[in-house]
Amino acid sequence: MLLEAKNLDFAYGRHPVLSGVSIELTAGEVLALLGPNGSGKSTLLRVLLGQLGASGSICWDGRQIGQWTRRELARTVGYLPQTPAADPEQRVAEVLQTGRAPYWGAFGIESPRDLEVVHQVAGQLGLAEFLDRPIAELSGGQQQRVYIGRCLVQEPKALLLDEPSTFLDLRHQVELTRLMRSLSRQQGIGVLLASHDLNLAATCADRLVLLHEGKVVANGPPSAVVEPQLLSRVYGVPMRQVETASGRVPLVYPDLAS
Amino acid sequence: MLASLAGATLVWAIVAAGCVCVGSTGRVGWPGVEVLPYRIEIVLVASLIGAALAAAGVVYQAILRNPLADPYLLGVSSGASLLSLLWYLGALSALSLPIQAAGQQAFAFLGALASVAVVFLLSSRRRRIEPVTLILVGVIVNAVNGSLYLLIFFRHPELVSRGGGGFTFLVGGIQSNLTRQQEWLAAACVGIGWIVLACLSGQLNVATLSEGEAQGLGVRIHRLRWIGLTTASIVSASVVAISGPIGFVGLVCPHLSRLIVGRDQRRLLPAATALGAALLAVADAISRVLSQQSLLKTQLPVGVLTGLLGGPFFLLLLWQTRRRSEGAM
Repeated sequence: MLLEAKNLDFAYGRHPVLSGVSIELTAGEVLALLGPNGSGKSTLLRVLLGQLGASGSICWDGRQIGQWTRRELARTVGYLPQTPAADPEQRVAEVLQTGRAPYWGAFGIESPRDLEVVHQVAGQLGLAEFLDRPIAELSGGQQQRVYIGRCLVQEPKALLLDEPSTFLDLRHQVELTRLMRSLSRQQGIGVLLASHDLNLAATCADRLVLLHEGKVVANGPPSAVVEPQLLSRVYGVPMRQVETASGRVPLVYPDLAS
Repeated sequence: MLASLAGATLVWAIVAAGCVCVGSTGRVGWPGVEVLPYRIEIVLVASLIGAALAAAGVVYQAILRNPLADPYLLGVSSGASLLSLLWYLGALSALSLPIQAAGQQAFAFLGALASVAVVFLLSSRRRRIEPVTLILVGVIVNAVNGSLYLLIFFRHPELVSRGGGGFTFLVGGIQSNLTRQQEWLAAACVGIGWIVLACLSGQLNVATLSEGEAQGLGVRIHRLRWIGLTTASIVSASVVAISGPIGFVGLVCPHLSRLIVGRDQRRLLPAATALGAALLAVADAISRVLSQQSLLKTQLPVGVLTGLLGGPFFLLLLWQTRRRSEGAM
């Protein structure tokens, strides 16, 4: 088991954000975290990384979170926040290189392996031709790929992505989905993504976890979680399910008529 | 990093050698044996000050995530000026002899560190410091220090008429009353501090990102902020103690170096350090030349020069970057 977290409780001051959340992630699995704004998705990701202190137990790769140093954890888990803060004039190569920070020696001295990994990831994500360009000159979709690339340069076993598809158009969303699936299938990386997009999550994830007011209200395969009645209750909007001839893809849409 | 360190040192050495040839006598050329040690000393002191301010500027800008940050933002210069004014006033020196013996430099150093300590104390919450809070508190502490300074100054109009060597401090200029010991002490502080900063320079690349990203990349960001800012403050305080607040070097050099070597802090730190050293050595040489013109008749503090040249130069830089970024859109 890559990640095993049990009974997490967290509060900002007096406002409880997470209560009794348990979540697991296995290697090679894509797990999507769903829930309305304020349901605790982003907070949960930061709690899992040990950035916010919560009560409960968090185990990465069989070791309690307290036994990891930040540097070690950064070699195992890559994290992409909702809005990455890069210097707009930074070149793509430099952004990717910072992903090797957990491997640098003193004085930030790089090993040949560090440069090798950067080039390998750049090739894998089709970023090789952009390496010398400032990141601000790239399109939103390309920028997102650079940031995911920075996570991959960490050579992680798990990826925690906070709403990676928010600013992407349809084509880039599909590309992102393919990328996440190939990372999990071919490299055995466990991907945990927080998402607002129910249908995207349902099509790309192996398993969905639905958060509502800081509690897990559903956990299972897309066919079990993408269920109009449950989602209507959680999102407070009447929902309908698409019925396709094949019936295999669980899709929902808000029912504006009622 | 080693390559940029070597290159930067070479550039500085050439410039410094040139500066050694410029004297206050009006003659340009390699100085005679009797003048040489003195000339080398003044060039080295100027270089030390420039190097320290530029290095501190790089670290402040990275950790505070603000391109306008300079080494004086968190109170170093205003604290140093305030306490050295107190010393200069003689109000304290009349009280006891040891204080007078401690010297203006020691007072300035303590004032700088005390001022930064107050800023840290007021802006830390649960032993954490946030860039935005730091900057705001720094501005406030600077303003209070400045007001106290003015208050004392106006209460004692005789200060201006007395003038003299110590007064150069208040404007920012290399002191003529430095002892060899003080110079070595400052050099040691800057040297050790610089090595610490160089050791952190890789992590500084990550400090410019958001807190969560930095932590996600394995950097203990809060610890980095404490160590980085404290070290940079000590480095700048130890040169402000011997020179007073010399302006613009700590702000301009990081920006200028960024245009040359890019934004990687591991290359930026050595480059900016050498550039600061070279720039202040040149500025000091110019002020030596200007001082011997009949027009000025007096020693021109180098702080006046860097302010006069640095201000417009920085504006130029700003316009240029803006034009470039507009062109990119």
